[in-house]
Amino acid sequence: MKLGDQFRFVRQNMKKNKTRLFMTVLATAMGCAFLIVLASVGFGLQQSIVDNIVGDRLVTGIDIYSKDPSKFKEDTNLYDADIKDLQAIPNVKAVTYRNFIGQWMEPTIDGEPVTGDRTFQVDFQAEERAGFSLSAGRMPQKNNEVILGYNIRQQRDDQGVPSEYKDASEWLNKTIVLNVGYYENGVLKKKPIEAVVAGISAKPTKEWKMDQALYVGVDLLGQVESITGTQRGELPYVEEGSTPEQIEELLKQLPAPGGDRNYIEVQVIAGHANDVKGISEVLREKGYFNHSIADELKQVNLMFLIMKIGLIFVGTIAVIIASIGIFNTMTMAVTERAQDIGIMKAIGAHPSVIRKIFLLESALIGIMGAVIGTIVSYGISFAVNAGLPVLIQTFMEEKVPDGFLFSVIPPYLTALACAIALGVAMLSGYRPALRATRIDVLRALRRDV
Amino acid sequence: MIELANVSHQFIIGKKGKERVVPVLHDIDLKVAKGEIVAIVGRSGSGKSTLLNLMSGYIRPSAGEIKIGGRDVTKLSEGEWADFRLANYGFIFQSFQLIGSMTAYENVELPLVLKGITGAERKQRVMRLMEQIGIAEYGGHYPSELSGGQQQRVSVARSLILEPPIVLADEPSGSLDSENEKTLLTMIQQLNHEMGITFVIITHDEQVASIAHRAIRLQDGKLVHQSDYRQVAAHDEQHRSVAGVDYIRQGGERE
Ligand SMILES: Nc1ncnc2c1ncn2[C@@H]1O[C@H](COP(=O)(O)OP(=O)(O)O)[C@@H](O)[C@H]1O
Ligand SMILES: [Mg+2]
Repeated sequence: MKLGDQFRFVRQNMKKNKTRLFMTVLATAMGCAFLIVLASVGFGLQQSIVDNIVGDRLVTGIDIYSKDPSKFKEDTNLYDADIKDLQAIPNVKAVTYRNFIGQWMEPTIDGEPVTGDRTFQVDFQAEERAGFSLSAGRMPQKNNEVILGYNIRQQRDDQGVPSEYKDASEWLNKTIVLNVGYYENGVLKKKPIEAVVAGISAKPTKEWKMDQALYVGVDLLGQVESITGTQRGELPYVEEGSTPEQIEELLKQLPAPGGDRNYIEVQVIAGHANDVKGISEVLREKGYFNHSIADELKQVNLMFLIMKIGLIFVGTIAVIIASIGIFNTMTMAVTERAQDIGIMKAIGAHPSVIRKIFLLESALIGIMGAVIGTIVSYGISFAVNAGLPVLIQTFMEEKVPDGFLFSVIPPYLTALACAIALGVAMLSGYRPALRATRIDVLRALRRDV
Repeated sequence: MIELANVSHQFIIGKKGKERVVPVLHDIDLKVAKGEIVAIVGRSGSGKSTLLNLMSGYIRPSAGEIKIGGRDVTKLSEGEWADFRLANYGFIFQSFQLIGSMTAYENVELPLVLKGITGAERKQRVMRLMEQIGIAEYGGHYPSELSGGQQQRVSVARSLILEPPIVLADEPSGSLDSENEKTLLTMIQQLNHEMGITFVIITHDEQVASIAHRAIRLQDGKLVHQSDYRQVAAHDEQHRSVAGVDYIRQGGERE
């Protein structure tokens, strides 16, 4: 018997008792929705607590300190080749780094000096992928665009007390002039480079931290290096009264520009928190010393995992209760149709065909229940996320942090719930289906004589 | 075509521990040739239906061997029996045994559906047969909307749709009036004649037995009489068989 005909049979059978079918599907849908919503709270709290409070970047970030000295005896620094190597590791979203510029180029905006504390060369594209957050503006896209630290207009006094906050975003889109120092014939000279302030970094999450850096791209670094003739724009420490020859000598000792740069604060950003463990292992194998917050989050995640398993277990019980309805419905259907089944067997229907038809029917009930249950649970999840913060704020006078989700339904939870609903439906339809195949032909035929 | 050798059957009834054995058939030896119409006659309770049910595979013989078309079917599994029935048998029942929730068309179509035949071929075969049997116009009717004669014709159509070599009929005219009975008998004779279908028909009706080539009498579970009906009928004062054949010859014109 062809599958299409089996479906036709099932449809005809289902039409015979629509109320009963509706109630059964309803019960299954409720069980399935209960399972999804319940488990979604586990997923939601985990995501909100772990991901939001700890911060997405930190969870997926893996700090690379250096290379393993036992493997790389000569030099444990991280070079261009290492960055490429890191980027090639599967599931790595981005590799970010900080590269000190060797001098503070005394930048000015509208003639006013910019008093930051350091200049970093960063990979803006990688930073963007890694989730570099801005408080204003956008990430640089063109050459000669820079980012200013959030606290760039603040200074600390001798005791380290910061001055009053001044809004850096006022400088957005303004031209910043970088005065690059270089030696020519033993004389320190300045050459200006013009750049545009594209964005302002986000406010540091920790109160005591200040971001007073100037972030430039690799293009600007290149320009600086070509002016100074040294790597990272570094200038030699020149003692008072040195001769031009001595200064030339000092300059020669500095690494040449464009050569193999070495990077600090290298961070590998995983595509997903789940990938961090795998990536760390690869890193360790390759001989990179690394550390991730995920190592420390293991405990927390384990707790949530147990919680989620518990919630899914409780939700599954609801589905199993609903399956009693399916069992009942299918048993009744088999009883009602005993005569038809008997006739079909009498003229040559294979028992497996009969079994398939009834299994298909219970599977369809399961699928309908799962689909409806899923739709409903997405609705409930949305309502909970929208409504619960308001309720908590009104009745408990406690503010829920922005973006805090109580209920999150990852696709695989839906898939799992649907699989459970379908599996349980098939399981509960199995005995009735088996009973149908065992219907005695003669007894069924005799019934209406 | 059908061979029964030393077939016996007994039912076991009653609760466990208090079973009672009801012997029904004893040492039946029977051969039905291809293209034969065989009538099984006998009093009610003599074991006719049991004999046919053994041939159908609805029950298994307690002893003996059954061969259909040379194949030993005694030890077939339930699934094998199902396929065997579908491939070799058409069934006509006294109470028609149509599926009430299906239309006449769908009932006739059912064996084709079970066989996995689809599409245009299926439709064509059903339509043609229903036209031949004169029920094309009732295709959309449910069995409850048809008369007994119409229902029996639907069931005949269902039994023939796969063009089986053998048709087993248990009291096929038992629920029909004499007019419809005659039509049914005409049909059986025609099918036998034109398509060479072997018929085994249970009946206690002499009219039905009269169209058979051979009648077998069962008495208390034993075969007591096998006769070439036409031979017997030659000596029969009422000449039923001749009357029957005459009727059938005219049947096509009358209908
Ligand atoms: N399922 C059964 N269980 C017990 N006894 C049965 C069963 N079917 C038939 N019998 C008995 O077998 C005998 C023959 O029945 P059956 O073959 O139906 O006779 P017939 O068709 O000739 O009227 C009867 O005495 C009947 O009571
Ligand atoms: Mg009988």
